[in-house]
Amino acid sequence: KPIQQYPWIKNRDHSKQLELSDWLTLEIKDFINYISPSIAEIEARNNAVKRLRKEITTNLWPDCYVNVFGSFATDLYLPGSDIDMVITSDSGKYCAKSYLYQLSSFLRSKNLGVNIETIARAKVPIIKFIEPRSKIHIDVSFEKTNGLRAAERIQGWLRETPGLRELVLIVKQFLAVRRMNNVHHGGLGGFSIICLVHSFLSLHPRLITNSIDPLDNLGVLLIEFFELYGYNFGYDNVILSYNPTVCYLKKEEHSYLGASNTFALAIQDPDDPSNNISRSSYDIRNIKRSFIGAFELLTNKCYELQAASYKERLGQSILGGIIRYTGKER
Amino acid sequence: NCPDKGKMRNSYCRVCDSRAHSSDRCPTIWRCYITIKTKDKIGMPQIWCYNCGSKGHFGDECLQQRSSRTPNLNGSSFSGGNLPKSLR
Repeated sequence: KPIQQYPWIKNRDHSKQLELSDWLTLEIKDFINYISPSIAEIEARNNAVKRLRKEITTNLWPDCYVNVFGSFATDLYLPGSDIDMVITSDSGKYCAKSYLYQLSSFLRSKNLGVNIETIARAKVPIIKFIEPRSKIHIDVSFEKTNGLRAAERIQGWLRETPGLRELVLIVKQFLAVRRMNNVHHGGLGGFSIICLVHSFLSLHPRLITNSIDPLDNLGVLLIEFFELYGYNFGYDNVILSYNPTVCYLKKEEHSYLGASNTFALAIQDPDDPSNNISRSSYDIRNIKRSFIGAFELLTNKCYELQAASYKERLGQSILGGIIRYTGKER
Repeated sequence: NCPDKGKMRNSYCRVCDSRAHSSDRCPTIWRCYITIKTKDKIGMPQIWCYNCGSKGHFGDECLQQRSSRTPNLNGSSFSGGNLPKSLR
């Protein structure tokens, strides 16, 4: 039953589009609309954050700040994404481990969180829990401001780069379905995905010459994203960089990034030029392979539909070849 | 002994006069843009090579050995041919 498999095509038929790239563009927009949070979901998230902030700053630590970063702060979250929170202070004292345990017992006693996990021994100690009213997973870290700086930078990119939000959400969902979005298992993290899409859009021949509007061409741009990073990108030689604006660097000339001339993705951290933000994405071979698969599935579907009759095109999905949505019906 | 060998030899695309693919698998089927016409002259933008990381050419036109082991038979979007005519 294609409708249930690809719920975003319900009541939205683009089979009469003359160009398949336009069909795909419209389907991408339908998918984004479908997975975008409803007002009720946005409110539940905002209220969860507000409540926690109020409780922590009034009843526990009056001198701290409670901020959000990551996909919640940049509006690049998919249904069911967690919220990344960070506690900071002017003195920086909350990095001490004792505060981690203080907060976890505070959350428990005030019933602000269930399934509380305290991960004290990691490089970045965090508390993970589920906010009971909204059922949202929340991660709290301490005195780490790099996430906040990154969120601000991404918000700037999103304002200046039309199409970035749409393509990032599609690529995110594509990788999430294949479980290739988890940095702990060598996948691509959210920030790396954003950098790949942002660099692609900022260097594309049609976009640097203002000859197309990206929002009218999301379909062809999505296929070309998979084309670049699936087939052509020189992972052995090239570093993505932002120094001073989007560009490439040669690995052999910038070995301080820890990027040797081997098959690995290297993205220079815009806030720390000596840091490679994708250094732990060791599964890049599989990611490249999956991008090739996405390119093949999308283009083969286009060739198939180009040859099909209008009757055969009815109710078909192009995006459905690479994206699945398995959550609750929305 | 490749079963597609004969097929490949016969493939010819009338749209782009290419022997790399047949007409029913021509990239122009999906690689088409809705363009905007700007009257103001565009200067040459900075371009970068996906293959070697240098400035000044696109990866499709790189003279160095190809880094990726997957072939680029039909050309990609990162090609000088994808720039407006005045800049090619």
